[in-house]
Amino acid sequence: MLFKKSRLAEVLDATAQAMDVYVPAIVEGTSCFAPYGEDAGVTEPNFELQNTKIPPKGLLFPSTEKLYTWGKGPEGAFIESALDKPAPFVAFGVRPCDVAAIERMDQVFLTKGYIDEFYQAKREALTCVALACNRASDACFCTSMGQSPNEAPEADLLLVEGEDAFEIHPQTEKGQALADLWKPFLEEGSVDHKPVECSTQVNMEGVAQKLHGMFDSPLWDEVSTACLTCGSCTFICPTCHCFDLSQARKKEENARFRCWDSCMFKDYTLMAGNHNPREQKRNRVRQRFMHKLCFFEERYGEPLCVGCGRCLVDCPATMDITAIIDKVNAWEEKEASHV
Amino acid sequence: MDFTEQVRKRASQLIEEGTVACVIGWSAGRLKYQRTPTCADTPEQASNLVCDQHCEHALGKYVLEQKDKGRVGLVARGCESRAINRLIADRQINREDVYLIGIPCTGCTTRDGVELKRCHECQFRNPVIYDELLGEPAPEPKNDRFADVRKLEAMSREERRAFFDLMYETCIRCHACRQACPCCTCKVCFAEQEREGWQGKQFDVEQARYYGVTRSFHVADRCIECGECERVCPMGLPLMTLMHKQIKDIDELFGPYEGGGLSDEGPDALRTFKTDDIEEFM
Amino acid sequence: MSKIIVEHGCAGICEGSSLVPKIVHVTGIKELTHDVKLFTFKTPEGTAPFASKPGQLGMFSVPPFGECMFCITSRGEDYVEMAVKKVGVVTEQMHKLRVGDSVGLRGPYGNSFPYESCKGRNMLFIAGGIGMAPVRAFLEYCLGHREDYGRIDLVYSASTYDDLVFKEELFEKWPSYPDTHVHVSLYHGNESWTGPVSYTAPYLEQVVAEEGLSTENAAVTLCGGPSLFRTCRESLTKLGYSPENIITTLEARMKCGVGKCGRCNIGGKYICLDGPVFTEAELADIPRDL
Repeated sequence: MLFKKSRLAEVLDATAQAMDVYVPAIVEGTSCFAPYGEDAGVTEPNFELQNTKIPPKGLLFPSTEKLYTWGKGPEGAFIESALDKPAPFVAFGVRPCDVAAIERMDQVFLTKGYIDEFYQAKREALTCVALACNRASDACFCTSMGQSPNEAPEADLLLVEGEDAFEIHPQTEKGQALADLWKPFLEEGSVDHKPVECSTQVNMEGVAQKLHGMFDSPLWDEVSTACLTCGSCTFICPTCHCFDLSQARKKEENARFRCWDSCMFKDYTLMAGNHNPREQKRNRVRQRFMHKLCFFEERYGEPLCVGCGRCLVDCPATMDITAIIDKVNAWEEKEASHV
Repeated sequence: MDFTEQVRKRASQLIEEGTVACVIGWSAGRLKYQRTPTCADTPEQASNLVCDQHCEHALGKYVLEQKDKGRVGLVARGCESRAINRLIADRQINREDVYLIGIPCTGCTTRDGVELKRCHECQFRNPVIYDELLGEPAPEPKNDRFADVRKLEAMSREERRAFFDLMYETCIRCHACRQACPCCTCKVCFAEQEREGWQGKQFDVEQARYYGVTRSFHVADRCIECGECERVCPMGLPLMTLMHKQIKDIDELFGPYEGGGLSDEGPDALRTFKTDDIEEFM
Repeated sequence: MSKIIVEHGCAGICEGSSLVPKIVHVTGIKELTHDVKLFTFKTPEGTAPFASKPGQLGMFSVPPFGECMFCITSRGEDYVEMAVKKVGVVTEQMHKLRVGDSVGLRGPYGNSFPYESCKGRNMLFIAGGIGMAPVRAFLEYCLGHREDYGRIDLVYSASTYDDLVFKEELFEKWPSYPDTHVHVSLYHGNESWTGPVSYTAPYLEQVVAEEGLSTENAAVTLCGGPSLFRTCRESLTKLGYSPENIITTLEARMKCGVGKCGRCNIGGKYICLDGPVFTEAELADIPRDL
């Protein structure tokens, strides 16, 4: 099944009638997933963007999210949860790498002992419409991370872009429900889509196992030299999910919230009494890359990197995770040759 | 501009003869326009250094992290040399801690070949101090750097408010501007003084504005105009507009003033008090 | 002797995952030293806030100053106790609390001491300063089930006499149990202190030699600051204790308590969820920042 590109606006409008829709767009100079509609000012999704600068993770894991309020009432102190059940919404046109990143976040927030109900509420409300890539930028390396730019198995519905139409592949019940909603605009047929391949490739085979033994390697001194220990990579990363809990006291209400945090920041692991296990830049850089390429894989069985390439493009010091993977692969040989 | 060969040769020699313990420069990456700051400890590593128009990162601040190794060699263009003056004036390093391999810079370009904004606005492309200069001094185009300030000054109060609100709404508070800034050398930044709690952790326009404006005023009279804050900003915010505005104001009120880092001597404009200072506010 | 087995992580999905605490009341405050207080908490209904096992953690919050993770020092039928040392922003506020005040508490988090698989063993507890807080939870459990365990020794050190926590228990209650031996040393003695003046590790070696403690059939529990950890670990190795029989409880900055916020990891494990209790043998294979 497919719908013609000329009917995209109708498809989106019909969807927006039923629920909130978020589409990739450039809003005030920044590309992100923005609310679609006349009121929100975004009337056309921007599929020219390979990746949005700000990943869609914020739809499920907002940069600041209120958890509860506290105060003193007539019956003494109270704590009131701010958990609410959001209305169903659609993320329309999510690239396969970002869909894979949502799956990584599901692992973190929905498995291993505890379910994060704040994440879960939004996750259940989300219908994820993926859009297969029509090209790969020179920073894209998702195929090396076990993903494909041509498919998104975790999405509810996959769109494949052709010359003048989008082919649709519902993959879940939610996706099917959306396809039913689009029925008036659908017609039989398929589009001609040439599978995309990433030009940048790295060998991830055995990297996690190698890294496990490289914790004290001088490699970390080498690769951390350039790092500014700013948080840009972690904030634009679609899989980075570390957060802080903090509070704001205002006249109207006292609220505790969670917000994005970065392992690159010195105060991230600073303990009361001023002991800090990751005081040194090299320790923090090591933590970030070990978490991405080794620790997460040990815990969940897949790397915490989906190869979207955002950090390659936006790191102010041009730290390149693919170059680091290459170095890890080469380092073993270097050390082995010494023996 | 391409000084790769000269830099490699001199860096190797300097390390070999023991003049410096290491040389901070750039190395090439996977993609042809990718450069990344690096520190060469051996002549072999020095032979991989690169110095061309893709070397967009300012290197001055990296000296702080490498100086424990001994005397640090630094590939220094105008912006790096002013950063070194700044660090000396702020008592972060001594002049003899560094050996400056001067580069007569002709500006860097983006991957698409467009001159970087910070290079276009640069007033001192040649290093203002160096231990040796590779090649002949480069021309100094001294392009207008206050165009954005005049635009800001021409705005109405509401427009200015909207300009800054948009900027701080877009800010993701990654602190890249602070991390890259050679004037930001506080041991603990005000934004991280958790005990005092100056800075809230929530991501909103108030907190971003508080961070951005405070940082900007804290470095106002020391800013060396390298524009690195603006270059490193992943959100592409026009951070130099406020810096330039302050530099222009300092020039008009206490000038003539050309920006920080032109010498290693203080004190700086806003920490200097003279009887003939204008004191309209008193 | 069967192996000491420390459980890690949750077998399934746990109840009460929420990052939202419940209100509890401070029902007792005891000043243990100049900077350590022991707090007793109950729910507004007068019951225990949660059922915890020895070694587990509780996330304590004093709005608006934030949250702090503590080891639950002991739990009774209708209360939990936590010993809190004044070191940071939140703990400073905790020390200002008065009986009757309301605060937030969530938990229990983390795994527990392997009290089941230690049964039948001789127990050696080593603690320094406030490191006594988690150790006490395990020690009291063993004393409560005295017949299940062999000889019990506690080696405890603190900087000065005033820094010793649980003095009453140390000098009166615990030594009164059968075959239970308490050894206390100070780093800095004073005129009235007649006991040994020594750092923990050399004192530990001395105690093991003098008392003729066997390394066979022993379970060692260790908790203290980073330097105590390092030196005591070296001493224990020298004395011939095998890493499988050394149990430690780790500390890190924690925020969520449920293995999600990321900061307390050691390797692929989270101290708040998979820990805080590990054996030395397990730690040997986990790369970590100290």
